[in-house]
Amino acid sequence: MNNLRVFVSSALFSFRAQFNWLNPPMWVTMKFVLSFSQMAFFVFVGIFSGGGGGGISYVVSYIAIGNALQSLSWNTVFSVIQITTQDKWDGTLPLVLATPANRLPLFVGRAMVHVLDGLVSVAISFIFAAFVFGVDFVHADPLALAVTVLLTSFTMAGFGLLIGGFSFHFRNPMVFANIFTFILLIFCGVNFSVAALPTLAQPISYAFPLTYGVNAARQAINGTSLLNISPILAQELIVGLVSIALGYFLFESFERSARKTGKMEAQ
Amino acid sequence: MPNTLRVIYSAFRLAMLHWMADPQWVIPNVIAPFVFTTVALTLFKGSGGPFGLYAVLGGGMMGMWGNTIYSSGFAIEFEKWQGTLEEVIAAPSKLIHVITGRSISNALFGLTNMVAVLIVGTFVFNISLGISEPILFTISLLLTLLSVSALGLIFASAFVLSRSAQTLTNGLETPLYIISGSMFPIALLPFWSHPIAYILGPTWGIDAIRLTTSQEYASQTFWVGMGTNSALILDLTVMMLITAAYVAIANVLFKMVETRARTKGTLVEA
Repeated sequence: MNNLRVFVSSALFSFRAQFNWLNPPMWVTMKFVLSFSQMAFFVFVGIFSGGGGGGISYVVSYIAIGNALQSLSWNTVFSVIQITTQDKWDGTLPLVLATPANRLPLFVGRAMVHVLDGLVSVAISFIFAAFVFGVDFVHADPLALAVTVLLTSFTMAGFGLLIGGFSFHFRNPMVFANIFTFILLIFCGVNFSVAALPTLAQPISYAFPLTYGVNAARQAINGTSLLNISPILAQELIVGLVSIALGYFLFESFERSARKTGKMEAQ
Repeated sequence: MPNTLRVIYSAFRLAMLHWMADPQWVIPNVIAPFVFTTVALTLFKGSGGPFGLYAVLGGGMMGMWGNTIYSSGFAIEFEKWQGTLEEVIAAPSKLIHVITGRSISNALFGLTNMVAVLIVGTFVFNISLGISEPILFTISLLLTLLSVSALGLIFASAFVLSRSAQTLTNGLETPLYIISGSMFPIALLPFWSHPIAYILGPTWGIDAIRLTTSQEYASQTFWVGMGTNSALILDLTVMMLITAAYVAIANVLFKMVETRARTKGTLVEA
C-alpha cells in the first residue's frame, strides 16, 4: 500500500513539477505547433525527394504516421529526462535521496502521467495526419492501434527513465534530453525505413522501443489485427522493460556514488 | 574604433567566450537542424538533381536559424539569470548594440551545423559539394548571417515585450525552417505562405547562396530567366533592404524595452 502511495505521489508530483518550465501556453505550443510543424517539414522534404519507389501519397502517409508516433517522445523522453534536470537545478535531489521511500515506485512513478500525456500528443498528431495530410484511417484496426500507441507510450517512458537515470551522472541532463529526443527521428523508422540506414547503424534502431511502435502502428493503420502485430509488440515490451531496469540500476548507482562522494548536482 | 562598434565587438567577444567556456549548450541549439538535415539527406539519397546542395546548405541555414532563435530568444533572459541585466540596462551603451554583438555570435555558432552536416554528407552520403563561386559564396553567406542576426534582434526584443520567450522560441523554430525554404523550394508550400517567406531576409539569402554554389540551381532561383549574376545581385539587394527594415524595427522595439525597464522597473522580475 505504501509503495502504491509513493508511486502515485511520484507520478503526480513529477508531472505537476514540469509546469515549472512548461507553462500552459508552452504546453499547447508543444502539443499543436511543434507536432504539426515537424510533421509538415518532413512531409514536404519527402514530397521534394520525389517519394522514392512508393510514390508521393505513400511517402506522405509513411512520414505523417511516423511523426505522429514520434510526437509522444516529447512527453515520454524529453519531459521525463527533464525531471532529472529539474531535480538538479531546483535543489530537490538531496530531498529525493534523503526520503526513506522505496526507490523503485519512486523512480518508475515519475514517468507515468507522461505516458497519458503522450497519448494525447499522438491523438492530436493523428488528427493532423488525417485531415491535413490525408492519411487514410478507413482500414485501421482501432484496437490494434490503441494498444500499440499505449504500449509505445509506456515503453518510451521506460526509455526516458533509462536516459534520465544515465543523466543523473552528468551536470546538464538537458543536453541528453535534446539528443535522445531528436535522434529517434533518424533511427526509429519515423521518416524512412530502418533498412535505409547504414548496415552498422541498423542494430541501434532496435534498442529504441519506438522502432517497434512505429512499425506496429503502420500495420494497424493498414488493417492488421492485434493478434498479428503481437510479436512486434512483445519485442517492444521487452525492450521497454529492460530500459526501465537499466534506468533504475543507473539511478541506484548514482545514489550510491552521491552518498559516497557527496556530489549530487555538481556531477 | 567607433563606440558602437566597440560595444558590438565586446558583446560578440563575450558571447563567444561564454560559448567556448560551456560548449555543451551548442548541442540543444543545433541538434534539431542537424538531425533534420540528416533525415533529409537520407530521404534525398538516390534522387537526381541538386538535392545534396539543398540538404547541406539548408542544414547550415537551419543551424543559423536554430541557434539565433534560441540564443536571441534567451539573450535578455540570460542576463537575468546571470544577475547582470540591471548593469547592462544602466550602462551608457545601448541595449540593442549589446544584443547585436551577441546575435551575430549566435548566428556564427549556428554555422557549426553546416560543418557537421558537410562532414556527414561527405563521409556517410558521399556528397561532394563543389562551390562554383567561392568569393561570392562567402559574401552571400556573411550577408545572410547578418540578416539572420538582425532578425534575432527583433526576436530578442519582441520575446521580452511579449514575456513569452520560451513559447515563441519553441513554436517558431520548425515553422521558420519550413517557410524560409531552407530544405525545399517554397513553391511546394501553399500559396498563402509565400508572402511570409518573402519578408524573411534569409529566404533570399539561401537563394543567393545556392546560386553561388551550383550552376544547376539557376533554373530554380526566384529570378528564373535572368542571368546568374543579375539574380544574385537582386537576391542580395532585396535581402539587405529587408535586413535594414529589421534593424529599424528592432531599434523601435529595443527603445520600448528600455523605456519599460526604466519606467516600470519590472524587466528583471518577469
